This record gives sequence, C-alpha cells and structure tokens, in this order.
Amino acid sequence: MLDSAGADFIPLTIDSYTRQNQYDIAAELLERSEEKQSSFLNGYPLVVHGWELTRELYRDLNKPVSLRHGTPDARLLVEVALASGIAEIEGGGLCYCIPYSEGFPLDRCLLYWQYVDRICAVHSTDEAPIHRESFGPLTATMVPPAIALAVQVVEALLAAEQGVLSFAASFGQTGSTIQDIATARVLRTLIRRYLDRFDFGHVRSYLVFHQWMGQFPTERSKAAALIACAAQNACVIGADKIVVKTVDEALGVPDPEVNADAVESVRYVFDRFRWVEPVTSTSIEAEIDLIESETVGILEAIFDLPGDVFWESVHRAFQTGLIDVPYSPHADNANRLVSMRDANGSIRIKDPGHVPISEGDLKREHGLLALREDLDGADPSFRRLLHDIGIMA
Amino acid sequence: MSQERIVLGVIGDDIHVVGNRIIQLALEESGYRVFNLRARNRPEHFYQAALEVNAQAVFVSSLNGEGEYWCSDFRKPFIDLGIPDTLLYIGGNLVVGKRDRGDVLRLFKQYGFDRVYHQEPDIGVAIADLRNDLGHGKAKR
Repeated sequence: MLDSAGADFIPLTIDSYTRQNQYDIAAELLERSEEKQSSFLNGYPLVVHGWELTRELYRDLNKPVSLRHGTPDARLLVEVALASGIAEIEGGGLCYCIPYSEGFPLDRCLLYWQYVDRICAVHSTDEAPIHRESFGPLTATMVPPAIALAVQVVEALLAAEQGVLSFAASFGQTGSTIQDIATARVLRTLIRRYLDRFDFGHVRSYLVFHQWMGQFPTERSKAAALIACAAQNACVIGADKIVVKTVDEALGVPDPEVNADAVESVRYVFDRFRWVEPVTSTSIEAEIDLIESETVGILEAIFDLPGDVFWESVHRAFQTGLIDVPYSPHADNANRLVSMRDANGSIRIKDPGHVPISEGDLKREHGLLALREDLDGADPSFRRLLHDIGIMA
Repeated sequence: MSQERIVLGVIGDDIHVVGNRIIQLALEESGYRVFNLRARNRPEHFYQAALEVNAQAVFVSSLNGEGEYWCSDFRKPFIDLGIPDTLLYIGGNLVVGKRDRGDVLRLFKQYGFDRVYHQEPDIGVAIADLRNDLGHGKAKR
C-alpha cells in the first residue's frame, strides 16, 4: 500500500519487546495475536518471524526496505534483517541508547553498534552498499541543534571507522523554519568536513529530515497542516529523504490506509512545491554561524578526551555531560542542559550544563532568548517549558 | 536557611521522563533541593532515598497507571524506618482506565499519601500545597 502511494522506502518498524531483546515475550504475543486475530504487538517481531518469512514478504517489492527500531543491542536483529534482504539500517550507539533506554550501559551499546556497523560494511559492495542511517531527532523534545549535530557527526565517524560506505545523517523538525534551514545547512557541511578530515572521503553522505517528532495535534485537520508544512520544509532544505508522520500520530499506531494517505499528501507537496534556490536571510545566516560554532566546539572537546579508541572518548563525553540530551530517560544522562524557545520558535540553550558552549556562543543564545517578550514575566519557567515542548499540539 | 529537600521519581516501569524533568525544574525554581530518582523506581528507592538525604517530602509520579499496584501501603516503610512524618505526594494518571476521581483520591490517601493529584495538569498546585504543608509543620497534618 505504501508502495502504490508513492513511498520510495518501505519502513519496517520493530515491536518494543524485540527492541529490548525479549524475543520470548514477542513470540508469545505473536502467538496470542494470531489466536485472537488482533494485534498484541506494536511492531514487526523480525527475530521471531525469521529471515525466510520476511524475505518472502518483500519478494515482489522493488524498493529498499528500511529497518526502524530503537534497539541498544541490535546485533541479532540486524543479522536477521540483512539475511532478509533489508538494505538500510537505522540506529547507532548514541542515538538508539540515550533516547531509548533507561539503563543500557552506553559503552556496551557503542560496542554492539560497532558490530552492527561492521556487519553492514562486510555485506556492502560499492554498487550495493548496506546503507546506515543515524537517528538525529533523539528525544525529539527541545534538543538544541548543536547536540543533535554533534551526535550525528560522531556516529558518522564511528560507522565510517568500521567500513560503512553509505551514511545518512538526520534531524527532526525543530519547530522553527529558520532553525530547520540552518540546521540542515550545517549538518550537511559538517558531516562532509569531518568525514573528509579523517580520510573517509569515499563515504557517501545523505541528509534525512524527520517530520515533527514531538507531541502532535489530536485534530486531524491540524495534523494534516503540520505534515504538509513539514514536507515543504523538507523541500526548502533539499532533504534527500523525509520520514513521514500521519494524521493519527497523536492517537496511536496508524493503520496502513492512514499511512498511505500521509505518503500521498507529502508526495503531492513535493510534486507541486519544488524548491530550487537556497533560502537565506540575516537571521538564517546568524543561526548557521551559531549552530556551526557550537557543534564544532562540542566535537573538538570530544576529540580532546582521552581514549585508546574513538568510542572510548565518546563514552567519556556522555559520562562527563559533554553530550547531554534534554529529556533523555537514560539514568546516566547529565540532565544539566536547559533549553527554551526564542521569539521565532527556535530552540535556544538557556543553561549549557557541562556541554562545552563557548562564552561568546552562550551570549548569543541568551541574546536571542531575551528577545522573547514573555521571558521577564511572572510566569515561572516550567510553564513556559511545557508550552515550548507542546508548541505544535 | 538550608534548603528543604525533596525526593522525586516515577514509580514502576513507567518511563515518562518529560514531566519528571519539568517537576524537577519547577521545584528547583521554587527554591527546593531536588534528589531526582528519575524513571523506573520501586517503592524502596523512595524510602531509602528519603532516609539517606533526610527529605522533608517525597514526590511520586505515575503516568501509566502503575501507581495503584506499587503504592499500596506506601507509608509503612517510612514509619518502620523512623521517618513517619515525611510528606508523601503522588500525582499523574494514577490508575489504569477511567475511574471516579473521588475513589482514586480516597484509595491513595488510604495508601498513606498526604496529597493526591489525579490528572491534575498543573504542578504549581502541588508546589503551593507543599509550601503550605511545610510551613505548618507536622502537627497540623
């Protein structure tokens, strides 16, 4: 159905038990679902179904299938996926641990994803690479672009180290078109710059845009408008791929018809509202400059950390709060950074915690925050935060 | 004056952390020192932490309704440990499914909570109550 609606990639979303390596529970619930003819799983239990059945499922499909999950230890899952003919694997040691797990040790996660990157590399050829994609939205809750971008560059480097040939960096719609444009521009530049700097010039890089990953409006009319505007933003930034939401996002797991409708409406926007020229303005240029300076600062600080191998430095960066993801459920996340929206809805760093933001950059962040009118009001900041988080709902 | 200390956390296998973080920031903004246990806690995490940091109050949240299962007789270990006067607050979606609000409030009062907030969206209400309760001292409760 997604195929005929015009999707270029067919996503395969994995159930939450498989994501936590609880294959026996997934098997039990699959059995119960078949017995009662109603689904007790919130995704496809790939490990339980196995590669033969899954390969059969996609036999007549002439489009790549993309594995979407959220698994800290995805070694077996990805082995089964590759055996099933799935050629695109989403995830990474940081992006599938910090937002998705409460207690999975990050060092183990980084090692397990090193294994995933390596098997993807082993099964790649120049003509038919196994494509790796990171998950830039992270918690999708007030994540400052510099944090997301630093994570993207780190994961690109970790994947390239293992021999991955094709890598997509991604980010989630920020809530501000200015910031979306700036973030895309910086992400594209920095991924290329750092891959080249460490002699990974042969690695192909792409840009993926996730439609709004935060709280969605419950009214379908508003959800449809949000989806259409997100599609337009994807055009403006020249994204190589867009991950599409549905009008039922706020209500639960969407059914196939609603999914197909969403793809069709995004396809409609892409066909009618093509964008050929880069959009720019003084505030976009200022935003680009700020995000780039912050991201570079974080990355260079990570490179400076001790470690025999790169992932060890990355692990230290998380332990010491250099990487701090707002609203992460992970017990080891520093939770020191506080972010807020400015007058145009862009995500600003109010308190960097231990994230190495330079004095000058922090001054710029605060300067932009100060332009927001209600900031000096009597309203306590937690109310403004709630408003900022739910800006689209 | 030393800051009053609050132990905060989400109970059960509930992993709703956005509200938890907002409550932490709100309490800190109101001048309290917060010890945040974050998500996925058992009852013992709360009373052990309360004992360890000598907390004046414990804030328990439950967003997915697990509260009913985990919180029965929540007060008892606090009494056994010799900290019977710790203020116990709970809030969120405290039970699974739709149930009479009055019934839910009564149930959690029976469990030993001083204040119960079932589907109360504004944490400001609980913070105002906290200020009031702490001001009155234990005799007034």
